[in-house]
Amino acid sequence: MVLSGPLGSSLAPAILKSRGIYRWFKPLADWYVDLQGYRKVGYKYDDLILEERDDVQRALARLTPREAYDRQYRLKRASQCSVLHDVLPKDQWTKPQEDVRYLTPHVEDVEKEALERSAWDNMVVSRK
Amino acid sequence: MLASRSSAARSASRIVRNFATVVDTAGVKVAAVDNGEPTSAVTFLVKAGSRFESKPGVAHALKGFAFKSTEKRSFLGTIREAELYGGVLSTSLTREHLALSAEFLRGDEPFFVDVISSFIKSAKYTRHELDEYVVPVCEAESTTAFSDPALRALDLAHLIAFRTGLGASPFTSPGTHVSVEDVKAYAQTVFTPGNLAVLGTGIDAATLQKLVEQSLGSLSSASAPVTSPSSYFGGETRIEAHGAPETIFIGLGTTGAPSAELAVLSAHLDPTPSVKWSKGTSPLAASIPEGISVKTVLLPYSDAALYGILIQGESTEGVKAAGKAAVAALKASGDLKGDDLKKAVAKAKFAAASALDGRDNVVFALGAQAFGSPAALDSTISNLDSVNASAFSKATTSFLKAKPTYVAIGDIKRLPYADELGL
Repeated sequence: MVLSGPLGSSLAPAILKSRGIYRWFKPLADWYVDLQGYRKVGYKYDDLILEERDDVQRALARLTPREAYDRQYRLKRASQCSVLHDVLPKDQWTKPQEDVRYLTPHVEDVEKEALERSAWDNMVVSRK
Repeated sequence: MLASRSSAARSASRIVRNFATVVDTAGVKVAAVDNGEPTSAVTFLVKAGSRFESKPGVAHALKGFAFKSTEKRSFLGTIREAELYGGVLSTSLTREHLALSAEFLRGDEPFFVDVISSFIKSAKYTRHELDEYVVPVCEAESTTAFSDPALRALDLAHLIAFRTGLGASPFTSPGTHVSVEDVKAYAQTVFTPGNLAVLGTGIDAATLQKLVEQSLGSLSSASAPVTSPSSYFGGETRIEAHGAPETIFIGLGTTGAPSAELAVLSAHLDPTPSVKWSKGTSPLAASIPEGISVKTVLLPYSDAALYGILIQGESTEGVKAAGKAAVAALKASGDLKGDDLKKAVAKAKFAAASALDGRDNVVFALGAQAFGSPAALDSTISNLDSVNASAFSKATTSFLKAKPTYVAIGDIKRLPYADELGL
């Protein structure tokens, strides 16, 4: 169970339901995302997912070769930024429209499969 | 004795006639027979064998996708639920057909028909299932199949004999890449009502028809894949292999529906003895060296047939001697007459009738009938009965004129070439 980060519990679905609240929250969310600074080193939000977990490893194996390559590139580029104690030139920052959740759906699928498996493993059969 | 044998064959054919009513349900052909078995089996036979495939390996991958996740239930759910019902799900792929089968206890048919039809209608074909389950299984199946020199020889023989169409192997050759989109596109073309037959054993025909109508009623009727009629070429190939028996295959092929004369020729040359620990009375049996196995192979398809003799043994000399004997026997079989012909006809009739023993064979006989092939047992038997010496000699002579298909697998420096055997 992850408490924070991209896989943690989120209020976003509840906020997205109401247009009014969404409109109120959107500038605040944009400001906060910008403040986090991951886009300035070329990351996408899903690159921040902790990958030392079995379910995430399984999800990573489901990326297309292109997605996996791009992810490795971003990780290396950000590591280099960390070494240099600097951010990327502004034209290389991740644009908001590029910041898509490319990994979370796969992690959710893997989690759903694990839940289903445990449900089947622990079910009690009763005669109708 | 002959009389009693033919009456047995006749009653066997009567059973076939009883169940073989093929009904069109929602465009799908449905046939069922209930002989009071304790379990039921339903097979969805699809004309989706490797001869129809658009890209090498697609048919094999489609077979691997069977019973994976669909819109209705997940991969795991399908397996666990089938286990709870106590059923067995299986698939098999030939050059012409893909068979999706379920065997289960009587009364569970709604679930199992739904499992198979939901695969046909709404399989998801996800990329991760292809990578995680389908491709490894396909590779393992192909590796196992191709490590058997007999299977490899037959596979190569098909390729040489028919080149395209029937030449396509039902096993993925190493290094072929199939994508999910390929499989999806192939599935869309083959899973059409006209391409599909639902065959049941141990199940009431009306029940099955109702279930099929419910589950496959809305199946889209796109155009089925077109295949050009087979033509026979023939040729020779040699493949180096070690650690397996030295193998040669001497084959001949024809096009058109498989004839009764070919079945008689196969029965005549088949060296398998009818009595254990004896030598058969086939002309081949006497001249086979010790330790060499000789098998006749007759592979009939809807519009062609491949007949051949498969010879395997540890020593290349023995294989060569057996090969020479086989070619001599094959060439001499044209002037078969009298009691020898009667014996061969009787053997072929028994083989045709006993091919209906067992559930799988009944299903394939039903399937052939559903797809409009004239392979009903009674007509097969009467065709065999009408084989006479002159017709047999004429058919065999023209058959033997075709260019032979020759495959050698093993120590290719020592194994004989086709011309050395007298082909």
